[in-house]
Amino acid sequence: MNESTPVFEARNIVKRYANHTALDDVSISVPAQSIFGLLGPNGAGKTSLIRIINQITAPDSGAVFINGEPLKREHIEVIGYLPEERGLYKKMKIGEQAMYLAQLKGMPKAEAKAELKKWFIKFKIEGWWNKKIEDLSKGMAQKIQFITTIIHKPKLLILDEPFSGFDPINANLIKNEIMELRENGATIILSTHNMESVEEICSHMALINKSKKILGGEVKEVKESFSKNQYKIEFKGNMVAFANAVWGGWEMIEKEELNKDHFLVHVKLNEGV
Amino acid sequence: MSKIGLIIKREYVSRVSKKSFLLMTILGPILLVGFMVGAMLLGKQDDKSQRILIHDETLLVYDNFTEPSEATKQRFKLNIFDKTGDKNYDQAIEKFKKNDSIDLLLYIPSNIVGTNANVGKILYKEAPSSKTTLFLERLVNESIEKLKLEKLNVSMDTYKRLKNKVNLQTVDVKTMESSNVKGRAVVGMAFGVSIFMFIFMYGTQVMKGVIEEKSNRIVEVIVSSVKPFELMMGKIVGIMFVGLTQFAVWIILSSVLGSIGLSFVGSEMYSAGSQADIMSGLSAEGVSKMTQMQAGIINVITTVNWPLMIGLFFFYFIGGYLLYGSLMAAIGAAVDNETDSQQFMVPITAPLMFAYFIVILSIDNPNSPAILWCSQVPFTSPVAMLVRAAMGAEGLWWQIIISMVLLVATFIGTTWLAGKIYRTGILMHGKKITWKELAKWLKYKG
Repeated sequence: MNESTPVFEARNIVKRYANHTALDDVSISVPAQSIFGLLGPNGAGKTSLIRIINQITAPDSGAVFINGEPLKREHIEVIGYLPEERGLYKKMKIGEQAMYLAQLKGMPKAEAKAELKKWFIKFKIEGWWNKKIEDLSKGMAQKIQFITTIIHKPKLLILDEPFSGFDPINANLIKNEIMELRENGATIILSTHNMESVEEICSHMALINKSKKILGGEVKEVKESFSKNQYKIEFKGNMVAFANAVWGGWEMIEKEELNKDHFLVHVKLNEGV
Repeated sequence: MSKIGLIIKREYVSRVSKKSFLLMTILGPILLVGFMVGAMLLGKQDDKSQRILIHDETLLVYDNFTEPSEATKQRFKLNIFDKTGDKNYDQAIEKFKKNDSIDLLLYIPSNIVGTNANVGKILYKEAPSSKTTLFLERLVNESIEKLKLEKLNVSMDTYKRLKNKVNLQTVDVKTMESSNVKGRAVVGMAFGVSIFMFIFMYGTQVMKGVIEEKSNRIVEVIVSSVKPFELMMGKIVGIMFVGLTQFAVWIILSSVLGSIGLSFVGSEMYSAGSQADIMSGLSAEGVSKMTQMQAGIINVITTVNWPLMIGLFFFYFIGGYLLYGSLMAAIGAAVDNETDSQQFMVPITAPLMFAYFIVILSIDNPNSPAILWCSQVPFTSPVAMLVRAAMGAEGLWWQIIISMVLLVATFIGTTWLAGKIYRTGILMHGKKITWKELAKWLKYKG
């Protein structure tokens, strides 16, 4: 693989459903061994994009590439996916369940078993093999789910809100695992609506809102351009009071009265403030 | 192992290793045979002797009762109370009520001889078995016959020579074999109803399985590894094997247990010398009825084309299951929980219910146009075709082939349709699904 070839690239993806457009001309490029933050509020289109990468659904137009190759069926074996809504079979033994999921990702039986044993020991859950999910706490089940996501050593790991449901200690454990996986050559797409976690661990990012990509690139660049940017503020209240409040550091570029005492203003942070 | 193989294996193993499956599979035949044997043993209960009080207003009928055989006498203690006339009927009832040792009161009204109002009464404290009723009817009938013969001055011998009993055999002109069409239709019905139950039981399991995967959200993990269609088919096929396993175990267990049970009950029955003996003690007609019935059953067993029936059974079993199973999978994918599935279940299972009723009704008219059409339409043919095939497949080859081709084509169609709905539905949560919505899903691009 060429260093400069992105592990994942989406070009001009459009996905429409009956009543709305989930993705509108979205292009993103995820460099190798990066941790890529996919940021956006709920309903912005993140999950639709992730499902396209996983080939759960197909885009209406646009192209998707993995390691420079157009997306094809075999790619699912190099992808690991942790959905936001976690779930495992409640009544199936944990070990059997993990074996099943690993084999579905194309792992041979013996290898799956050996790898699972390793991870169970690493996460200090060796004794759980014959337990059932319904006997475990939510946090414990999350650990199992994380293991099943990474067991087949995916080159591209897609984690949808990976820290939700973990207590701080386990969230840290998972964070360290993510870092380690990256050190070992994996590329990670991390979907979240939490800007903090992006700033903390991501090297690159894209912000999606209302099915469009708003901005993207290296996290530090984005942060810089952010600081130069203008802000759009919508508020209800007295215009004079607002102007007084932002007086000094801000420059008002444009204002629009939407209603009585309801304004939309564009302000710019003055240089050097 | 291929991925779909893995799915089939998981669906199969996780169900077959359940305690409830083992329990059902083993307990099913035991219960079935147990009920049969139990029913037969209960039927024998009236072998206990019964004391019957006879109130004979004609003063004649009782005197002309045929001398019953020893076994019959042992069983029914004929205890005459009164034969003095109609005004004592109330007294007879009073006595019957007060006297705990009397089981039945046989009331023979004065007008029973010589009029057409030939209604007598059996008064009971505990309802008598049909065998007892039959026995008493015969006694009274034969006695009245005797009386009438005397009146007409005809001897019993002449009467017996006059009495005729013609049997009309139904013969299939193509094979020139006599056949018991009705009996064979019953065999076909048994097959059809089994298929009906199988489709219902396991189709529902498919639906429940899909709802389970959807509601505990594991489905999103799995469809990131396999195509939704593979997951759906793996589930349907896996559950089909569960059904076939259960069915095979049932057949083997119930035939083994059944033959043990029957030999046990049979020997018990005949050593007590009951039914056949009672009948033969009375008349030759009873015996001929019995043997006729047995001959009929033997005729059915020998004339039904069993290898064909079993072959067709498996074909329609699998075909019908795949058809309905795929639709049920689609329903499971479309709804969030089982409660919501009702609105879709009803219209989809309606044809199956319809076929079931047509099959039940077809026993009286196995060649009705309704059953003919049902045996061709793929939504009903798995249940209906077996009835017709059991009655003789010779003239049916084309109809069977057409019905099979239609069934295969339809289940391919429904599976394709279900796959589309399934794919969209399993990832859709918290939305009230309507038929219109489902139609939209068919247009979505994979």
